Amino acid sequence: MSSLKEILTRRPVAATIRLTVPAGAARPAPPVGPALGQYRLNLMAFCKDFNARTQKYKPDIPMAVTITAFKDNTFEFTVKSPSVTWYLKKAAGIESGSSRPGHVIASTITLKHIYEIAKVKQSDPYCQYMSLEAICKSIIGTANTMGIKVQKELD
Amino acid sequence: MLMASLRNLLFRRVYTCSTTFYIPSLQLVRPTSALLPSLSTLGHFLPAPRISGQAKEWRCLSPLLASFSTSSEASTNEASASSYLSVRIRCRKDVADMLSDALLCFGASSASMDEPDDCDSTDEISINSIFTECQDVGACISNAAGSIGLKDMPSYVVTMGEHCDWIKKTQESFHPVKISEDLWIVPEWRTPPDAQATNIILNPGLAFGTGDHPTTKLCLVLLYSLIKGGEFFLDYGTGSGILGIAALKLGAALSVGVDVDPQAIRSALQNAALNNVGPQEMQLCLVDSMGNPLSAVGTTDGNVKGQSSHGIRLVAEKEKFDIVMANILLNPLMEMADHIVSYAKPGAVVGVSGILSEQLPQIEGRYMQFLEGMSVSEMDGWACLSGRKRITKYS
Repeated sequence: MSSLKEILTRRPVAATIRLTVPAGAARPAPPVGPALGQYRLNLMAFCKDFNARTQKYKPDIPMAVTITAFKDNTFEFTVKSPSVTWYLKKAAGIESGSSRPGHVIASTITLKHIYEIAKVKQSDPYCQYMSLEAICKSIIGTANTMGIKVQKELD
Repeated sequence: MLMASLRNLLFRRVYTCSTTFYIPSLQLVRPTSALLPSLSTLGHFLPAPRISGQAKEWRCLSPLLASFSTSSEASTNEASASSYLSVRIRCRKDVADMLSDALLCFGASSASMDEPDDCDSTDEISINSIFTECQDVGACISNAAGSIGLKDMPSYVVTMGEHCDWIKKTQESFHPVKISEDLWIVPEWRTPPDAQATNIILNPGLAFGTGDHPTTKLCLVLLYSLIKGGEFFLDYGTGSGILGIAALKLGAALSVGVDVDPQAIRSALQNAALNNVGPQEMQLCLVDSMGNPLSAVGTTDGNVKGQSSHGIRLVAEKEKFDIVMANILLNPLMEMADHIVSYAKPGAVVGVSGILSEQLPQIEGRYMQFLEGMSVSEMDGWACLSGRKRITKYS
């Protein structure tokens, strides 16, 4: 629950913006430019801030950013690691999921891949309270909807 | 009346056969959003709106005429760099979050939602989504809606946006910045508040360095305290050229600006011209990510690809500069530490910034072997580290 002070000083929100930006490579150009420019936000400040905070990730992996723009032209943002589907596609080496999940298998990956993905996802803000096992189960579920089969070992 | 699932199947199959079909419940009214005043409405019926160069001429005609265009357009690929597609989608409030995320997965560049006013009693909310020009908006939206289980295709309106619109909007937010008592950074389109002070006129364009970021301020304050007159200054990662120009205005003899981005070099050239800085005083050099010079330009040469052998020679000379500053990012600072410090004379001052306070220990550890007498200044969570280059080797 937010403290009383936070509630009293909460600034009015103008908009919520969702973007995908490659880590360490934010530039005041599309996709960042038009999306933030509309709300008169300081592009340079966002790019510098975002680049500095994503230095610890491998360069150019697409990060999901959610920016909260306030009515006084200031903003805050949170950075999330790429979606589970993106990691699964990379691990399985495919471009897109299967067109008929459940019937057609697009590719296979091993439990080790799932474990690695779960470890990265654990540092995400909304996954921190989940046990590693629970995260793995959720990733396996996503893999099933994409038509990616999970095996113990690759034969 | 088709069943929802059958209809979705129909969309997908029809799309793969690439025939044209109507998108039901399409809004034909001009969007009244105050955020996009200068766009024209092109209501589209086709799933693949390939807005070609012809679209530009249509804007002069009445919007009603344009909104009934159902002919397939000739695909000319010009004008793809100067415009984008802005789509306004209406959907229910409770599915808006999921739909935004789904849109991003299926190819949108961004998805923004305006915060609804409390007095707004409708159940619906608008999502503004931006796509690159050659994308298939209809297919993306239908895939996104299908993936979260929406039965109906949400209604949407496609408009064409020009990049100059948002560029102009962001420029409006630049104001003159005061660095110290007599040093101001003023955007090109505003008048300096204090005509007596040293004013640096800037037009940053799409390059980094407007003067109001804490790291730029930290570097400028450092420069202000260091420059006595006649120094050689190297700005590694020059961006808009702000540090180089500031050094010259404060009394340095020569500034060299280095960057990996050709856009930055272009921007720095422009700004040097705005501040009446000649080619003898400021040299700019484009380098690759390992620091090897690719080309160099004098400030009278507007073309980045122009060769200036004097500039490359200057940059390639080690131990030539009295002050070296690098306001970039943590990773390049760590990798190129040797390279950056090698340009400084022994005993010269080296300053690095563009790092968060939490990244400071890493930088200190890396630069400890090169610099002595290190001092740190911090502002708003950002830090600037400076020190003198060791004359004798670190043991």
